[in-house]
Order: sequence, then C-alpha cells, then structure tokens
Amino acid sequence: MTGEESPTYEPAFERLGTRIVALLLLLEVLSVYFLWVLNPVGPHAEDAFALSLAASLVCFAMISYIYRALKRDNRFGRAPLIAGCCFVVTLLMVGIAL
Amino acid sequence: MVEGSSDDTPADSGRGKSRAERLAGWFDSRLGLSYEMLRPAPQYSINPFYWLGALAVVAFVIQGVTGVMMMLYYVPSPSQAYATTMYVFQDVSYGTFLETVHLYTAYAMIMLAFMHLMRGYFVSVHKKPREAMWVVGMLMGFVTLGFGFTGYLLPWTIVSKSATDVGLGMVQALPPPISSFLTFLIVGTGGDAAELLRFYDLHVVILPAILLVLLGAKMYMLEAHGVSEPVTGLQSPLPERKKKLIPIFPDVSFYLFELAAIFGAAMLLISVVFPLTLPPEYSAALAGQYTAQPDWYFLWIYQILKISAFEEAGLPVALSAITLIFVVLVLLPFIDRGEGRAITGRIKYVTLGAVFVAEVAVLAVWGYLTPGQVIPNEQAALVLGGTALLITLGSALLYRLLSGGLRKAGASLPAPGGSSGVVRTGGSNDAALRSASVWTAGSFVVLVALGTFSISSAINAVVAMAMRGLSSAVLTSLVLALAGVLAAVAGAAYLLYRLDLPNSRIKRRVRTFELGWSK
Repeated sequence: MTGEESPTYEPAFERLGTRIVALLLLLEVLSVYFLWVLNPVGPHAEDAFALSLAASLVCFAMISYIYRALKRDNRFGRAPLIAGCCFVVTLLMVGIAL
Repeated sequence: MVEGSSDDTPADSGRGKSRAERLAGWFDSRLGLSYEMLRPAPQYSINPFYWLGALAVVAFVIQGVTGVMMMLYYVPSPSQAYATTMYVFQDVSYGTFLETVHLYTAYAMIMLAFMHLMRGYFVSVHKKPREAMWVVGMLMGFVTLGFGFTGYLLPWTIVSKSATDVGLGMVQALPPPISSFLTFLIVGTGGDAAELLRFYDLHVVILPAILLVLLGAKMYMLEAHGVSEPVTGLQSPLPERKKKLIPIFPDVSFYLFELAAIFGAAMLLISVVFPLTLPPEYSAALAGQYTAQPDWYFLWIYQILKISAFEEAGLPVALSAITLIFVVLVLLPFIDRGEGRAITGRIKYVTLGAVFVAEVAVLAVWGYLTPGQVIPNEQAALVLGGTALLITLGSALLYRLLSGGLRKAGASLPAPGGSSGVVRTGGSNDAALRSASVWTAGSFVVLVALGTFSISSAINAVVAMAMRGLSSAVLTSLVLALAGVLAAVAGAAYLLYRLDLPNSRIKRRVRTFELGWSK
C-alpha cells in the first residue's frame, strides 16, 4: 500500500506491524516446535498441548489482524497487540513449565 | 440498500406475470437460484455479531474432528460403551483433552446457535427476502439440539442415561400417534442396545448429513441475499465507509479465520481449566438413587414440566405449549410481516423476545438449583410472572430512552412542548420528565408486585378449590386475588396510556403524586 492510496498512511505503523509480526512468527515456530517434541504420555501433557496449541492459534489471529489492519488503513491498536503478545508468551511459558 | 444485500429483488416485483411465473419469482428471490456467488461483502459485516452462526459451524467442525478421533475407540453397545469411553479417558494419548474439547464445543455450538437465533430475532433478519433462510436456520437449530440429545447418551453414564430417559419420557407424553412414531424413530423397538445404537447412528451419520445439507442451502441463500444491513435502533443512515464492499478473500475470510482461531483458543483454555471427569457407569440399581436431570440446554423445558399444574394430566398441555413456541419461532417470518426492521419500531416483538430469553435463563438456573423438585403453582406464577413483568417494564423504560435518543438525533418524533396536560421528552421539560419517570417506574414496580402476588394467590385458590371443594375462605381469597389482578392490570394500562410510548411523551399529570413536575 502506498501513501497515495491511503491518506492515513503512517510508516511507523507499518514498521511496528512488521516487528510484531516477526515476533509472533517466532512465537508460532516456538509453539509448533514445542508441540512436536512434547512427550504425550508425560504428566500434564494434555494441558501443555492445549496451552501451546492455544498460543499458536492466538498468534495466527494476531498476524491476520495486523495484515488486515495494514491493508485497510495502516492503523491498529498497539495496546491490544502488546497485551496479546504477552498473553501468548505467558501461555507458552506455562505450557513449557508444565 | 447496499450492493452487498438484495432486499429489493427484481424477480419479486412481477406485475403482469402469470401466477406460475410469480411463484417461480418468489422462490427465486427467496432461495437465490439465479444469483452470482462469492460476491464482495459490505464493511459492516466485519463484526463478531454477524459471525455467530459461522462460529457455530466452526464448533461443528471441531466436533467433527474430535468426534472422528473418539469413534476410533468407541463401541456403541451398553456393555462396552462406558468401558471404551473410559479407555479413551485413561489410556489414549490426549484422550481426556479430546473428550473435554468435544463436550465444550458442543455446549458452545448450542449457545452460539441460540445467540445467533436471538440476535436474528431482535434485528429482524427474518424479514423479506430472508424468510427461507430463517426457516432453514431454525431447522439447523433443532438438529443442533438433536446432536446434544443423542450425543449425551453415548458414554452410557448414570448422568447421561438418566437425562436421556427424562427426555424420552417427555416424548412419550405426547399424543399417541406422535409419541409412538417418535419413540420408534429414536429408540427403536428394542431395549437399551437398540436405543444406544440408534442414538449413535443419529449422532454420527444422520444428523451430520442433515446439518450439512441445511448448511449448504443456507450458505447458498446467504450468498444470494448478502448479509442484512445493521439495525441501530436510531434509524440513522449508515456511513458510506461502512457500506464499502470488501472482497471475500482475503479480507472477510481472514476475519473469519481470526474469530475461529480465538474461539478455538478459548475452547482449549476452558478445557485446561475445567477438565472433564467421567461419572459412574449406568446401572438400573444406581439409577434409582440418582435424581435425573437433563443437560443445561433442556433444563428450561424440564423446569416447566416440573410445575405442579403440568404434572401427569397437565403434561400434554405443557408439551403442546412448548411445541407451539418452537412452531411460532419457525414461522416467525410469516407472523411478523411488518416492513420496518428498526428495534424502536418493534417494541412488542422486542419485548416478547426479551421476556423469552429472560424466562429461559431463569427456568434453566432454577431447574439447576431444584433438581427433582415439583414446583408449586403459586411459586411458578410469582417467578415467571414477575420476570415477565419486570422485563416488560425494563423494555418500556429502555424504549423511552431510545426514543429520547431518536428525537435528539433529529429523527421524526414530534418536537417538545404541546397541548395542556401533555409533557414531551427533551427541551425544558427534561426535569419534569425525570420526575414523572421516577414516579411511573415506582408505580410500575408496585403494580408488578401486586399483580404477581394476586396471580399466584388466584392460582392457589383455584387449585385449592379443585382439590378440597368450595368454601367461603377459598372463595374470598379468589375474589380478592382477582380484584388484585384487575387493579394491577388497570393500573398498568393507565400508566402505559399516560406514557404514550409511540409518541415519546407523557399525556397527563397527577399533581398529588408527581411533585416537581411542572409544565
């Protein structure tokens, strides 16, 4: 998208969006890796599996949201995304701890 | 009217055409046989409330996936059903997780379908040209309830078998031709084995097939008609940016994926926090010690049947009334045929819908709290009548607020001021209106209390008369109760007359009570 197409174009949002997407992709890869190496017969394996899968789904939803927001008008709420990233990290950490 | 919707269809306005052509045009405009598919959707459809039905379908897909995994182990016979379910719980990797997610997405599917139904009711999506969509959606709702009913029996636990027996008891209380047909359809002619096998077949083959066919039909009609325009209640025109069309892919599709992902994550987290445990296996000896209770989505029906007036001889009456509610819901597009969709223009239907939702919620919670108890008539009248009257009062007051907002927004209601003895909303009369509203609301509450108490007393007196015969005390009680009902109804009617809701004004004043209300 170019500045001519959207009057609200702000490069800062695009840069921030790109960084958050990179972080989310990293978390997504981490959750998939964790799912892959998870011992299914271990104690709390089901909880760890569910938490990791939930983290992966939330990552996907946030990436999709940023994509749509940047495509639409280059704006998105920063606070919900940062809170979402913290939520995903928390889910993954609890899953790994289990 | 926007391009994304098709409320005015050329096929439907066929003057000068033959009857057969008009009939074909009616079906074409309702079923969308000649429309192009996968058209862009309007921006206003990017709203979670537009996707409640889609989320129910997502829940159905999750259930399909988890259900197929459970089918690998499950054996539908009374001797092995519980053991194989327990095997999934204890010995299969992620087995408890599978069972838990399957159950909670089933609950979510039923709840989402109900929310989808009531949202559609309140914003009148059932009106032209979406009548057929509504009917198909209602049928899908019944299939969803069928999923719940049939699936609940399959683990063969004491809870599930007892609950299913309660449901079958309801079916068997219907008039003989219907009850015998439905009983044969659901449980066959045999015993437990035939019943379980039928339920399994219905749950994994017949109901999914029916749901998929109905879903296909509904999706086709959705594509033909587009999504309905939002109803704000203020009748203000939609901004142009909301009407802008956006492509199905990637914009709308990605939005749906986001909602589905968040919904899936929520289901997973709920499964972690509240893992399922399997109740004891069903046995006839154990069943005698257990208070049967249906699952939560049938509790409201069960609670109605527990009212003492509907015990035994009254049971067919209650079941007929409940059936009538469902029939009215299915046929709603042909009953509520008014042109307008605005909430402020449908006060009767909106109030009825709100009362229905409140009564269902109250009955379900009440049923959960009183397992196996027969509900006295007067208590039922007090709770149900009180709920209905309070919701009606709340609806009337809410309508007043909406009407005030409507007038402030510059819509078509009359300006403040007016003839002697009439106080309208807004302007210099705001303080007077507030004072009058407080008195009116207070009067309503008193009338609600009087009305509910009188109704319950009247029912109690009639029941006492039927059981113990006529006596002067009972007759006096009945007369006083009826007088109370009449007074409550007359008072409520007077207050409603004074409020003059359609015109957003108060007609008359009573200086004695309504202090501070000056013209």
